[in-house]
Amino acid sequence: MVNVTAETGSQQEKTINMSPFAIARRKFLRNKLAMISTFFLFAIIIVSFLAPYITTQDIAKVNIGSMSLEPGGEHFLGTDKSGRDVFTRLLYGGRVSLLVGISCTALVILFGTLIGSMAGYYGGIVDSVLMRFTDFILNFPFLVFVIVLNTILFGLVSGLWVLIGVISLLYWGGVARIVRSKILAEKENEYILAAVSIGCKPSKVIIKHLLPNVLSTIIVQATILFASLLVIESALGFLGIGVPQTIPSWGNMLSSSQEADVLRNKPWIWMPPAIILTVTILAINFIGEGLKDAFNPKSNR
Amino acid sequence: MNITAASKGTQPKPIVEKETLLDIRNLKTYYPVKGGFLKRTIGHVKAVDDISFEIKKGETLGLVGESGCGKSTTGRTILRLLKPTDGQILFEGKDITAISGTELRRARQDFQMVFQDPYASLNPTQSVGDIISEPIRNYKKISKKELKSEVLDLLSRVGLPAEAYDKYGHEFSGGQRQRIGIARALALKPKLIIADEPVSALDVSVQSQVLNLLKELQDEFDLTYLFIAHDLSVVKHMSDRIGVMYLGNMVEIATNDSLYEEPLHPYTQALISAIPEADPKKRKKRIILEGDVPSPQNPPSGCPFHTRCPMAKEECSQIKPALKEVKPGHHVACILY
Repeated sequence: MVNVTAETGSQQEKTINMSPFAIARRKFLRNKLAMISTFFLFAIIIVSFLAPYITTQDIAKVNIGSMSLEPGGEHFLGTDKSGRDVFTRLLYGGRVSLLVGISCTALVILFGTLIGSMAGYYGGIVDSVLMRFTDFILNFPFLVFVIVLNTILFGLVSGLWVLIGVISLLYWGGVARIVRSKILAEKENEYILAAVSIGCKPSKVIIKHLLPNVLSTIIVQATILFASLLVIESALGFLGIGVPQTIPSWGNMLSSSQEADVLRNKPWIWMPPAIILTVTILAINFIGEGLKDAFNPKSNR
Repeated sequence: MNITAASKGTQPKPIVEKETLLDIRNLKTYYPVKGGFLKRTIGHVKAVDDISFEIKKGETLGLVGESGCGKSTTGRTILRLLKPTDGQILFEGKDITAISGTELRRARQDFQMVFQDPYASLNPTQSVGDIISEPIRNYKKISKKELKSEVLDLLSRVGLPAEAYDKYGHEFSGGQRQRIGIARALALKPKLIIADEPVSALDVSVQSQVLNLLKELQDEFDLTYLFIAHDLSVVKHMSDRIGVMYLGNMVEIATNDSLYEEPLHPYTQALISAIPEADPKKRKKRIILEGDVPSPQNPPSGCPFHTRCPMAKEECSQIKPALKEVKPGHHVACILY
């Protein structure tokens, strides 16, 4: 027993006593690309949510006197076809797009994890019922349902939250499946049996023992989801069925490029939201990539 | 019984036969085999097929057998980590076969398990202090300070330094991790510990340390062990009595000395002849069994061992022998006795 003490004593270094998450955090902080992307994303989020303090232009007011002005002068990025300031709309648009992206991601992850972990842990009939329900949801034609549900619920709830609710409702299936498969693999470990035998309730086994061990997958999944939800929001906006037109979003700002004239001759109207959207999505993907590396015990980057 | 009860008043410590802690009666654990288009149950793997034994307070019962013979399943069923198909598990006379929910959770304070794989049995996201204190937190409400001192006490009992408290499992070697697992099992001061091949994943040099630790703790905490292993010398070192399992059946159960000196069942004889001898000059007859272990999904009729038994007779394939006491304390399930 004495030599055991000696053994650990010699191993002692400054770097030990780190949880797997602390190790991942350190790896992530050392990843330059991921860190730059994180700063960029946070900058975008902060600027967007501080929009009312940055510009004082009215986002909705149509100004016939200053339609389709080129960038420069009073309007930093020009004005759109209704004479609204593009820069202002870009900031406010970011607010909406990011809000949709973040809240949908949160709801989708929450619901998908809940369903997936219950199905995976309990197995048997619970698993069958929950997974058939998931398949059922996944089989819905997404676009058609968004349009239909948006139309039905419109007016009952504020427009933005309708969209968030509808997207979340239809999108959790993939996460549920991934979480279930991860839980299925993880619950075969003996520490789960140990948790049961030391008297943990099923809820505690799931929350305290299983979820922390599949959390890395969930986090990486969340970043991918966030990026794809931004794309979905803008795609719906572009088609004119997403966020109501009165509220600017990056998506519905893009919809003006449906007109050939705007697309060809007035790039300042659609280029800014397109560029900012692309760069944001790129940044999120780099963050996701960085997280994946950080959680991978085999990588030492 | 009357005599001991009466004498209890006069003598402070009467010499009574040790009481039974665990009594297993006709325990069966079958795993359903699903197949076909509708995933219907098409058969059963008879992992544990009608075994009975008992463990007295304070003793160590070893359980040996080759891989897949149902040792671990027996252990896990007794802890009610698996659902028994049939039979009874009596713990201190209380039937724990059918209890569930809160009642089962309460009962679990008394029996704990030490697991086989020290790498898979510790949650990688928990610190050692967290792992060892969790069982206590599950049952008792005590202050953080008391909890920590209790955990530090457990750490020192299993021979780990106090600095281990804030570390994580991955910072330890296999032997040390097994000590953490033992400390976790001890945390609730259980009466019975089922050790499921606790040393088979460890280096030989570390094995003896862990085994001796288990022995020391047995005296200190008055523990009863069900010690599962496939290494015969390890079992011999640890156990008071030994049960030999084959294909989900208990074929022989006897005291340590009796089993090693005079194995009765042909299977036990073959197992014991396979123990390597340290002396190269000493030649002994090695019984080589032919063929493979039959599938537990479709076990042979009659005696489960008759397909490989060198002494099998015709009636062996028809009659399934029950365990019977051939000598005092020596039970064997074979038609020859």
